[in-house]
Amino acid sequence: MKPKRQFHVGSFLFRIVLYVYAVISLYPLIWMLFYSFKDNQEIFVTNPFGFPTVLRFENYAKAWNAFNLPVYFMNSVKVTLTVIVFVLIFATMFAYATARMRFRGQHVLRLLTMIGLFLPLQCIMIPIAVLVRDLHINNTLWAVIVPYTAFNLSFAIMVLYGYMRSLPFELEESACIDGASLFTCFLRIIVPNVKTAMATVAIFVFMNVWNEYNLALILLTKDNLKTLPLGLLFFQGEYTTDWGAMGATMVIASIPTVLIYTLFSSQVEKAMTVSGAVKG
Amino acid sequence: MRKYLGNKKMVIALVGPAMILFSVMVLYPLGVLIVKSFTQWDGLNPSVFTGVENYIRLFKDPVFYTSLRNGLVFALIQVCIQVPIASILAFAVMDSGRISKKFFRVAYFVPAVLSITVVSQLWLSMYNAEYGMINKLFSALGFSYQQNWLGQGESAIVAIALVNTWQFTGYQFILLLSAARSIPDHYFEAARLDGCSKMKAHLHITMPLMQETYKYCLIIAITGGLNAFASMHIMTGGGPGTQTYTLTYLMYRSAFRLGNYGYGCASAVMLIVQCMIVSLVINRCVARERIVY
Repeated sequence: MKPKRQFHVGSFLFRIVLYVYAVISLYPLIWMLFYSFKDNQEIFVTNPFGFPTVLRFENYAKAWNAFNLPVYFMNSVKVTLTVIVFVLIFATMFAYATARMRFRGQHVLRLLTMIGLFLPLQCIMIPIAVLVRDLHINNTLWAVIVPYTAFNLSFAIMVLYGYMRSLPFELEESACIDGASLFTCFLRIIVPNVKTAMATVAIFVFMNVWNEYNLALILLTKDNLKTLPLGLLFFQGEYTTDWGAMGATMVIASIPTVLIYTLFSSQVEKAMTVSGAVKG
Repeated sequence: MRKYLGNKKMVIALVGPAMILFSVMVLYPLGVLIVKSFTQWDGLNPSVFTGVENYIRLFKDPVFYTSLRNGLVFALIQVCIQVPIASILAFAVMDSGRISKKFFRVAYFVPAVLSITVVSQLWLSMYNAEYGMINKLFSALGFSYQQNWLGQGESAIVAIALVNTWQFTGYQFILLLSAARSIPDHYFEAARLDGCSKMKAHLHITMPLMQETYKYCLIIAITGGLNAFASMHIMTGGGPGTQTYTLTYLMYRSAFRLGNYGYGCASAVMLIVQCMIVSLVINRCVARERIVY
């Protein structure tokens, strides 16, 4: 009997640990959600921890109207969508050529793009800032769109290459015999077959670009070009006196990623952890 | 078929856009970085070659050593807290039911999808000396222990590292969980038949089999620590003084605040070298052979 009892105590302890860490992990976020509905009096004095006594939706109205939040939000949307589209197009094309076509140096080219996976990208921030200025795109959103696209290519190519290698080579053979051009074959046969990989890539790029801070900080200096992570910073200085409204801006900024995560949680986990597992 | 797949024009059309973009935005800047790290450069005018002077200055710069120390402290805290907690959580979750498993996964991973600005500002308000939740919590529990967490250098770097730890423990947890679940069930069955307890089974079977994943976790945690920048920039601005600087911060300040681009490039090169050394050493020492089931 003894081993069985030990086993029980052990799994009971494990369960406690699970719940305790769930509280540690979630409570700060719940606290943020709560205080986005409170006023200063409630946050500081009367009710710092619990559920708000009155739901002050005016905090959200204030955050959205009084600040530049809609502009930042739209900038983030524009940048993220453009980068996703470009990464998908360029990476699929590149992966197709290196995975399934035959030409000299195809492996060298592919391995070259893998540098991006191992290089800490903020290291090349300085030359990029100078380059963006020299290309005269520094006062547009392209200043971040172009580098983001380049940075995300490596991971996208790696994932798509793996998928394309696993497809049977008879696909092209039959297409060739049926008289389809290579481009038709690529567009009509290969692309529909790698849709799941493209979804993984799209989610990965979304998470990456939506939250990117370092490059945006040095490349986007004009206020009406700022993306959300950068724009939020501005509230910190200006409106620290109004914690409720600041909390509301933070909640609004987090909604898109949290929403995507709750909808596609296993794909998001996969996309984000695969990228981690290749470092090394 | 060979001709069909070897269509030169198609190859160029397909490879071209990605390759051009990648070369211009990653490979070329990398080259520029290395070359300019040997020069005196203000980012506008042509640079002057000065040899290894930047590196010598870097090695004499006390801020460089502060940054190095902070990067290591940051990495150490992440490794020592994240990896054990994530392992325990992963083992514990393996035995729970489907619905609670889903709940815990989401609960642990959610912080990792938030933007670093939101996380940093959230914790900035939690650490706030006057109104912050942490000091409030201490006083609510009856402790008179109050602290200006981000005000002193020593506690500030630890406080910032803890924020990062909090944000990414769930990430490591998911990595470890998927590795643990890919271990075939009959390993555990055999252990159970031999009368081995759960704890022992995890200690002697699961963990050794996951050594490759532990390697990734180590590399991610350590390079993450060396590369830290955004949290310091938002939470303390590198202060008090230069006490929460990291190497990336040093690079950022020398280039974009002081206009000393060459010096910034040199510190960026040092950062790349450090990350390479870390990956090499860990690859050498941990999990040298691949495990295939």
